[in-house]
Amino acid sequence: MTRSALNPSCRRWSITLILSWLFTGVALAAVVGGLGLLLIESAPAWKHSGFEFVIGKKWFFRQSEFGAAPMIYGSIIVAILAMILAAPVGIGAAIFGVEYLPRKWRLGLKVTVELLAGIPSVVYGLLGILLLRNWIYEVFQDFDPLSGDTLLTAGVLLGLMILPTIMTLADDALRGVPGTLRLAARGLGLTATETALHVSVPQAFPGLLAAVLLALGRAMGETIAVFLVIGRQDNQWPSSILSLKPLLESGQTLTSKLGGSETNIAYGQPLHWGAIMGLGLVLLSLVVIITLTGAWLQRISFRQHQQHS
Amino acid sequence: MTKSPLILFAFLPAVFALLLSACGESPENPEGGKKVSALKINGSTTVNLPVAEAAEVMRERTGKEIQVDTQGGSSGGISMLGEGLVHLGMASKSLSDEDRKKFPECDFNEIQIGADAVALIVSKDVWSGGKTTITKKEMAGIYEGNITNWNQIGGPDQRIAFFNKEPGRGTWEVFAKWAYGSAGDTPQASFPEVGGNEETRNKVASTRGALSQLSASWADGKTVFALSVKTEDGKLIKPSGENIATGAYPMSRPLFVLSDGDPSGDAREMINFLLSIEGQKIVRKHGYLALADLSK
Repeated sequence: MTRSALNPSCRRWSITLILSWLFTGVALAAVVGGLGLLLIESAPAWKHSGFEFVIGKKWFFRQSEFGAAPMIYGSIIVAILAMILAAPVGIGAAIFGVEYLPRKWRLGLKVTVELLAGIPSVVYGLLGILLLRNWIYEVFQDFDPLSGDTLLTAGVLLGLMILPTIMTLADDALRGVPGTLRLAARGLGLTATETALHVSVPQAFPGLLAAVLLALGRAMGETIAVFLVIGRQDNQWPSSILSLKPLLESGQTLTSKLGGSETNIAYGQPLHWGAIMGLGLVLLSLVVIITLTGAWLQRISFRQHQQHS
Repeated sequence: MTKSPLILFAFLPAVFALLLSACGESPENPEGGKKVSALKINGSTTVNLPVAEAAEVMRERTGKEIQVDTQGGSSGGISMLGEGLVHLGMASKSLSDEDRKKFPECDFNEIQIGADAVALIVSKDVWSGGKTTITKKEMAGIYEGNITNWNQIGGPDQRIAFFNKEPGRGTWEVFAKWAYGSAGDTPQASFPEVGGNEETRNKVASTRGALSQLSASWADGKTVFALSVKTEDGKLIKPSGENIATGAYPMSRPLFVLSDGDPSGDAREMINFLLSIEGQKIVRKHGYLALADLSK
């Protein structure tokens, strides 16, 4: 074993090696196959609408109009909202846990939070219907929302859902910073807060970014919880992209559309089915873009970090 | 290197194979001689109520495993039966030619077990604000976005929060047929959508100025209230059992259990039970009309 590791030419075909290749191949085939299948199945929709499918603002399947822009908008807005709410709290809690709490307490906190991450999303959704929906409806009464099913409700619920993910990943990232660095900083006379902000956080920055992006990926793909509180209203395109008003109106995300009844109706009708598969393709592409951007940013910040040190 | 990781690896393909074979064994042949472990039923949440209770009784008596699901409402029931994923479908609307065309290999057999009405329900503030009836014209005005406040049609000063039943639901199709003649003739409109009956009742009850379509038996008169339909000659028709039976109430509909061809085995037993005196009692218990009530 050690010999083959030192000298690549001695590497033999072992069962471990074959199986590793096999499983890598299976994983790769699943991704490529899935992407290919979505492409093939959605072809009728692309032929029918062209690029209009992505930028079109009207979706009326009975009239064969398929424009996914309002759903893409909904998905992005809800995910960003969740991010804005969850990232500061999650990272802040992780900093507190790692830098200030005694070890025993920190572990207790981490276990509790990880338990939260394991709650099935339908439970979050039902809690959202029972509590959050009505709370938003009452609290924002002055703005006269038509009901409690709003993009804001979905965003807040998603924020709660991804909070444990952010916190536990940020905790891992911060804990990866060597203790000797902290000791050195304290030895130079920095306070605990200065050490945390100027040593630990910059050191762990790529990891913190990864935590946020992984959570963003989860927020994008989350279906059932969003489905229950977003209102599922089609064709909600804002008058201005930066307007805050749509936040208190119902909307639709790519996932809530895919989870709805149209998937059943579409079956057996090539064009409508193609449009539904097209939504799947758009969703997959969005998640891929986020992940790749995350990896790219991570490399950049890591390089900068190396130059500084 | 110890052997244990290797052994673990060797087990993985076996697990894979097991999973694959388990997937392949689902009821590909609902009626045939192959032994299927559980009777699977899926479809409309409206029909689900009596069917689920009947399944409960059957389970206790015969010890058979019966799964009743409500994925996708009526159209979910139709498509899953069409694909052979379930043994029986449930639908709260008649099958259209389009449905039959989609699944040419499935010989859909509609077995009526009762009847129900679609009510237009409102939240408490609308009801106590004096709006207890609705005309077809008013409903069309709301659907087309010309009427947005209850005070335009004799109700309280409150914006109308209309929750539209999602497409594919039996409830929606019955509503569309009443208001516009057919689903295809219904104008383009985008409202917040609701799915199952529970979701609809819950959301209407907790929203001011709310309006939606709901199975009449779910309109409890405590949290949500069923509007009477006002006909052109000024008659008020409540979605009551009597008015549904005589056909006076315009939005009534048959409740079906669907099978692929002639049902046999467990599926046959289930249907026989639903059509028996005992089964019909369960249908009536949930606020629907039994078959005997219809022929009166």
